Amino acid sequence: MTRVAVDGIDVEVADGATVLDAARAAGRWVPTLCFDERQAPFGACRVCLVGVEGAPAPLPACTTPCRDGMTIATEDPAGRRVAAAVVELVLSELPEPPAAHTELAQVADALGVGEPRWPGATHAPQPADTRHPYLAFRHELCISCGRCVRACDELQGTFALTATGRGFGANVAAGLDEGFRASACVSCGACADTCPTDAITEVSLLP
Amino acid sequence: MTTTCGYCGVGCRLETHVRDGRIASITPAMDGPANEGHTCLKGRFAHQFSRNRERLTTPLIRDARGADPRPATWDEAIERIVAELTRIRSAHGPDAIAGLASSRATNEDCYAMARLMRAAIGTNNIDNCSRVCHSPTSFALRKALGLSGATGSFSDFDHADATILIGANPTEGHPVVGARIKQATLRGMKLVTIDPRRIELADYGVLHLAPRPGSNAAVMLGIAHVLERDGFVNQAFVDERTEGFEALHALLPSYTPEAVSEIAGVPAEGIEEAARIYGEAADACISWGLGVTEHKYGSEVAQLICDVALMTGKIGRPGSALLPLRGQNNVQGSSDMGALPDTYTAYRSVEDEEVARSFEAAWGVPLSRRKGYTIPQMFDAAVAGDLKAMYIFGEDVAQTDPDTAHVVHALESLDFLVCQDIFETETTRYADVILPASSFLEKEGTFTNAERRVQLVAPAIEPPGEARTDFEIIKVVSRALGHELPWATPSDAMDEIAALTPDWAGISYERLGRRGLQWPVAPDGTDAPILYAESFELPGGRAHFAALPYKAPGDAADDEFPLILVTGRRLQHYNAGTMTRRTGNVELMDADVLEIHPDDAARLWISDGDRISVRSRVGRIELPAQVTERIEPGHVFTTFHFPATRTNLLVGASADVNTSCPEYKVVAVDVRPIGEQPAKVPALA
Repeated sequence: MTRVAVDGIDVEVADGATVLDAARAAGRWVPTLCFDERQAPFGACRVCLVGVEGAPAPLPACTTPCRDGMTIATEDPAGRRVAAAVVELVLSELPEPPAAHTELAQVADALGVGEPRWPGATHAPQPADTRHPYLAFRHELCISCGRCVRACDELQGTFALTATGRGFGANVAAGLDEGFRASACVSCGACADTCPTDAITEVSLLP
Repeated sequence: MTTTCGYCGVGCRLETHVRDGRIASITPAMDGPANEGHTCLKGRFAHQFSRNRERLTTPLIRDARGADPRPATWDEAIERIVAELTRIRSAHGPDAIAGLASSRATNEDCYAMARLMRAAIGTNNIDNCSRVCHSPTSFALRKALGLSGATGSFSDFDHADATILIGANPTEGHPVVGARIKQATLRGMKLVTIDPRRIELADYGVLHLAPRPGSNAAVMLGIAHVLERDGFVNQAFVDERTEGFEALHALLPSYTPEAVSEIAGVPAEGIEEAARIYGEAADACISWGLGVTEHKYGSEVAQLICDVALMTGKIGRPGSALLPLRGQNNVQGSSDMGALPDTYTAYRSVEDEEVARSFEAAWGVPLSRRKGYTIPQMFDAAVAGDLKAMYIFGEDVAQTDPDTAHVVHALESLDFLVCQDIFETETTRYADVILPASSFLEKEGTFTNAERRVQLVAPAIEPPGEARTDFEIIKVVSRALGHELPWATPSDAMDEIAALTPDWAGISYERLGRRGLQWPVAPDGTDAPILYAESFELPGGRAHFAALPYKAPGDAADDEFPLILVTGRRLQHYNAGTMTRRTGNVELMDADVLEIHPDDAARLWISDGDRISVRSRVGRIELPAQVTERIEPGHVFTTFHFPATRTNLLVGASADVNTSCPEYKVVAVDVRPIGEQPAKVPALA
């Protein structure tokens, strides 16, 4: 067992547990975006940054393992500032604010991020891809967090989804971008379940 | 609302989201012990059937055979049922009436149905559809180990170093367990798949064996032979915790890998390697499905599987388990509840005086000590004129049971048939009264999954129209027949079950909570994720080896019927398709097809997509061909999801020798393009 202190609360966690695990064990909230407890930690989004005593800069809670005696501050000002900036930049690329029920909207709300201050290019709205009876793509809402790809790999084991494109053009595709139905997809819906923005959603839930 | 999925036996916990009285969406429960935040397209998406306009919304009565059924009131329908059943009982005795409980329904529904047949009618003629799927597993586990259930949990796959998967296709039949096995193989678990078809998981395993349908016994004996020869027998375990090994030891020498190769058509090295993988693993599981059970000697193969685990001592600890994949959501529970012609709850015999007395005391009526009919026996008795009435609840026997022509003959021979279902089915065509019932999304109760886990089912929506929950219907019918079922809610029924069933003593709705409990559950609520850690549930605490030789299946290819047909299930559909055919799943798959190997297809002048004729010794059907290398030459495969296909017309009367589970998996057939007349001796290569 490893002992750490989170915001002054002493907790004991299993060896190998992450700082995020410890924070949750202590009942402290840490914002996350690319994290899903069903998947291996990914550490891509930098929204879960927390302060760790002795560390030169905030560390991502989801991928940092606990060390005995660690002192963790979940509300580290630098960490929160970076997290809010990350979420604001993510929002600045979307053609419309995320729907209230999405994880992205909730994280933005919790971090106090409103209308993004950054003008510039946003993804062009396009008709939802509804070639599959249940699963729909809304590519303009994709934030490239990789959760759907990892759900397909790590939870279902079908490897039907792929990250595509670079930079502003980064997105996700089923198979060789042929839509869910023609790909190896087995329609389990794990991607829609994990998507934090409705970039993959159910056809019946489309607005 | 959190509930338990009503499709397969995995028992996924689901969150239902409702809008305007309809299911809007279903998501997996993160804390579901069997699914851990995952689900498949059936549990997650295939829910539109619940508001399909073909749902039965009012009782229907047929005034004459062959007439269209007309809507009726509940009072009229119940009156008709009581009048007919009472008349038949006085004229022919209670054993002229039989009932079927449903493995799709809750434990409480099944218990109520069993009590109705036993106490209100006075007969043990009660059975359920586990008869036609896993009754051989139940038989074998009880004989070898003591209890009728998996020895461990699905989490054992996460701890196993190796797994033998035989006669099952989990990525289609039990997709969430299939995904779990996939993930285990990606982490390094060695998987051996044994199936006549090259199933998807074969691509994730280290070894695939494709034995001839019906030769599983030889394969298991061959593996046991190599395990013994190469010193993998756990002698201390065999000495201390089992009996009967000598007889198996005497049987094994003749099952050399070479001999087995001859019988089963798999390479001798494959048998050697499978045994070595299993034997060398510190912890290993064996998992199986209907490819083991639905055979003439299915119950014997299941016993031989137990032998392999027992001789190596790989049982009763995390990662070492026997995990039969039960087909339907409550196939475990419907049998646990005593909806069987020979047992009360928890498999206690109707001939056991003490048990029978305990139920007589609780129910306040005398009970029959005579075993009732199994499902196939019911149909035989109906044709013979001994059985006059049936009350079929939640089963489409005319589509799913073997030898369809015989089943239909039986249904037509009855004086009176009641069906209780959510849709009209092939079976309701022959019903005199049809009662509109409820789906799993509309009812309260419990299902028991393939891990023996009893989990709560909670209603998300109301039954449509005048439809009622099965629990209410059975209560109303029983009361009208003069036997009050004294429960206000399914929870009260569970309390009665717990009071009368030692293995369920500690179960109550309050204790089941979000994660359920795995029976046996002690009075203090302690459940049993792992069975047999210390001793077996047989006299002396010892497990029993079975020394059973390979015997040929009930059917074999010959000149007239040169191919062997295997039937099974596909990912997109579920069993008779009553539910999934009324959802978007039909857009993903809209017809049954016959899988045939390219070599056979070329020889028979069949191209992919051709409509073909399939003829067996008892029937003939037509359907499109799908040419694929998933199936071995000499074999063909299809499903029975669509009533238009009537696949089960092809299946004959051959059945498991101990449990009368039909031999769905070995049917000799003649396949040819439509238009060609069958010849006595076809011009085959």
